[in-house]
Amino acid sequence: MQNKKILIIIPAYNEAGRVDKVVAQLRAQFPSFDLLVVDDCSSDATACQAREAGSPVVSLPFNLGIGGAVQTGFQYAKHNGYDVAIQVDADGQHDPASILDIARPVIAGELDLCIGSRFTAGKGNFKSSFLRRIGIRFFVHLIGILTGVRLTDPTSGFRAYGKKAIDLFAAHYPIDFPEPESIVIAKRYQARIGEVPALMHPRQGGSSSIRYLKTAYYMIKVTVAIMLCTLSKNRRIRADEH
Amino acid sequence: MNIKLLAVGISLGLFLTVIELIRRKKMSFKYAVSWLAASALAILFSVFDRLLGACAQMLGFTLPSNFIFFLIGLVTVFLSLLLTVYLYQQTNRIELIAQKLSLVELELSRLTQKNQPDRT
Repeated sequence: MQNKKILIIIPAYNEAGRVDKVVAQLRAQFPSFDLLVVDDCSSDATACQAREAGSPVVSLPFNLGIGGAVQTGFQYAKHNGYDVAIQVDADGQHDPASILDIARPVIAGELDLCIGSRFTAGKGNFKSSFLRRIGIRFFVHLIGILTGVRLTDPTSGFRAYGKKAIDLFAAHYPIDFPEPESIVIAKRYQARIGEVPALMHPRQGGSSSIRYLKTAYYMIKVTVAIMLCTLSKNRRIRADEH
Repeated sequence: MNIKLLAVGISLGLFLTVIELIRRKKMSFKYAVSWLAASALAILFSVFDRLLGACAQMLGFTLPSNFIFFLIGLVTVFLSLLLTVYLYQQTNRIELIAQKLSLVELELSRLTQKNQPDRT
């Protein structure tokens, strides 16, 4: 476990006042892991605060959306030869206490993609709205039917990625609302996918990337994307890509 | 007869405009080739208007003018679909460039920071 190169990717968009705490906490708890904050062209002091808190920061020249930001992290991980990448939100929702649980199966080489779930029995203390639970359940079944992978929380962005997933997602990753779709993409490339319970907290502030008005668009986009994804051809991932 | 001249003139004008745009490098051949094909078809049908009538009749259009509108609609839909494809391609490339640029920026700032202590 010690000899693996591990990167924590923190996509951040307007998370000033939160990202600094997250970075400080992660640095204190995981001194052997490297950090990378991907600033998705925030209009506040996100990049500056993250840098001052001691994390390298990649600043995108314009807003790419969460998918484009996380993908930048994968490209960085691939280019610098990391074995494992862990994605953690910049708003403090994802409890660092669960990071090792999520990373363990990937570090051990048992999984290529391990998802931290709010809902699996044990640590599931997260209360989300009724509508959101229905939406999530819909994706649980859709993904289950299309890929045969049974997950309880496919929209979770608290994840660990092995080398195979890093290489794949560095080349192909959905731009907006990427989480459910990325599972289907990973499955098509025969990645081993699993989930573990994870602690998540309600938002401390800021706004979720999924607002009420966006919800309908979110549902339709992700559903169509997932169905199209199962139809489309596998493109070969170029090994020489940096 | 006048209407035929007008139609030939306009479609020929479109064809020549596209060629001129390619010549002046305002448009690449890749993007212009569908425009060239569309205007060539327009020239063909305006010069041989009997052919237009025959095609319309064969396909079941009562009036040749309806057939013209149908063709214009078809070409417009096809061209805008093609534009969407090109737009997507450009979006992808711009996104990739943005990501690479930001990664190179980080690399550069690291390298300059490493070199700083030597100078002082």
